Amino acid sequence: MPRAINVVDFWRGFALVEIFVNHIPGNVYEQFTHKALSLSDSAELFVFLAGWSLKYVEGPAHAPRPTVHVVGRLGLRAGKLYAAHMVIVMMAIAMLAVTSLWLDNPLILEWFNAGAVFTDPIEAHIGLVFLTHQLGYFDILPLYVVLLCLSPLVVILHRRWPALLLPVSAAVYLTALVGQITFPTWPTQGEWFFNPLCWQFDFVLGFLLSRPEGLGGFAARHMTAIRVIALPLIVAAAVLRLEGIELDPTMAPFPRLLFVNDKSFLTPTRIVHFLLLATLFAPTFTFFERYVPRFAGALSLLGRHSLLVFCLGSILSLAGQILRFAFRGGLPLDTIVVCVGLAISFVVARGADWWERAR
Amino acid sequence: MTTMGRRVRIALFLTALASATGARAEAPVAPSSSACGLAAGDATAIAFPNLERAMKERKRIVAVAIGSSVVGGSFRNGDYYELVEGFLEKTFKGLDVVVVQRGVSGELARDAADRIRLEVARSAPDVVFWQVGTADAMAGLDPAEIGETVRDTIRWLKDHGVDVVLIGLHYTPVLRNDAEYQAVRAMITQVAREERVLRVRRYEVGETLEKLRAGKADTATSGEVATRTDGCMAEDLARSLATGLFARRP
Repeated sequence: MPRAINVVDFWRGFALVEIFVNHIPGNVYEQFTHKALSLSDSAELFVFLAGWSLKYVEGPAHAPRPTVHVVGRLGLRAGKLYAAHMVIVMMAIAMLAVTSLWLDNPLILEWFNAGAVFTDPIEAHIGLVFLTHQLGYFDILPLYVVLLCLSPLVVILHRRWPALLLPVSAAVYLTALVGQITFPTWPTQGEWFFNPLCWQFDFVLGFLLSRPEGLGGFAARHMTAIRVIALPLIVAAAVLRLEGIELDPTMAPFPRLLFVNDKSFLTPTRIVHFLLLATLFAPTFTFFERYVPRFAGALSLLGRHSLLVFCLGSILSLAGQILRFAFRGGLPLDTIVVCVGLAISFVVARGADWWERAR
Repeated sequence: MTTMGRRVRIALFLTALASATGARAEAPVAPSSSACGLAAGDATAIAFPNLERAMKERKRIVAVAIGSSVVGGSFRNGDYYELVEGFLEKTFKGLDVVVVQRGVSGELARDAADRIRLEVARSAPDVVFWQVGTADAMAGLDPAEIGETVRDTIRWLKDHGVDVVLIGLHYTPVLRNDAEYQAVRAMITQVAREERVLRVRRYEVGETLEKLRAGKADTATSGEVATRTDGCMAEDLARSLATGLFARRP
């Protein structure tokens, strides 16, 4: 049976909708996602909830699953994600190739960092398999795969030495920030867009805050005070964003990545902003569930099938970008692309629900 | 042209550069292959005061290459920044050139503008090579908005002691009559001219090479022409930098 509507699926569904819309750059509806008024965006939410969901793999607090069982499940989950990533990347490459032929435009082949796949297939395919070559907008799942591969360590460390997990994760995070350490890409020169050494911190925070003890317990006990602090900061951040006021990064003290706003390194500004935003808005789920149940149900439906919807959304957003380029449609086409894309996502998620019931 | 052919051409190019180094004051402009030379046209000397200062004071220049996915081309084409590095290091003896590649695929100008500021804080470059316009044009963004973003960013970079080279839009025959694509191209050209920064004429180089190919009944595909364009771009960029640096040397 599919899970009942719950807050985690609801917010995951919300993140999936936003990721889909934001992955069609330049479309009109992009400005209505929360990043327009925020220092962070739905990527932080998505990874945080992935960490939060680790507790479901661990089993209930009174009867946790055996470590071997948990590690096995996480390993299988990582494998499933990796396979899903490979499938959608190959589909994306095929879509770009077909579009290039259809429009007689070789430039399409270079779009989204796919050029090396066609001009240097030997190196590029090695890179694709080892995740060192990533297509544009297809770079979250590689991060997710790495995080899931690390997650057994997270669980084991937490089970053996629970007080150590946060300091270890924070130390890795700070070291990466101070030393500007990240994963390189190959064969094209560059860096991973989502630095796993930094984004693991978001993942671990999600895991720790999901728990009733430790950091999660502390946050729960002081939630009112945290919200009182969060409200003016979130409002101030929204005003700054709206007015286009940003700190000049060259004015920041060293090490600069500790003070600037950078998505790749998930700098402290972003993670703190996201956590404060989450404390303010997480309770609105109760409101939606009570007064707009169909809306809450729809987002939860997407969130329940997050991998499927994410993969579908990645392909649909690429299709949307291709259509926008081919037909230069403006607002009407943007509306069609976004509405049809979301409609297909809902239908497929509904089908997945039906399949789960039927099994 | 085959890959082997291109390698031979690059080798010849570097050999020519190496021989040119001995008489560098007299021959600042790198010899280039005839096709590239025809395509590149006349290189206007644009000053690079920050590069020049870095050369004098540190004997080391740092360049950040940024923009959409195609900032460095594909793998072998991506080496064209190594070609630029090699050329400058051979031309200016004792100079250490570092190109930091920070291209993000499909990145729009407005996102790249934010990252440029971060990269200046992070890598402290003397020059930024900014591949701009192609992703924006393909995403159908407003040319005026793109122009404003590029202009603001150029001024910010100049205020922060960083020179700028804009790398223009890509060429492909089917986009010759695409009004939106051409509008973005015109906007980038206009901004570069008004702000007096070097614009590497990627589109024009590609267009000329395509015409040369057609004239010779060359059987190269459009993709191969694009690959040649990347090689010529490297030459164009290297020659323009050298021209600008020599032009300002006392």
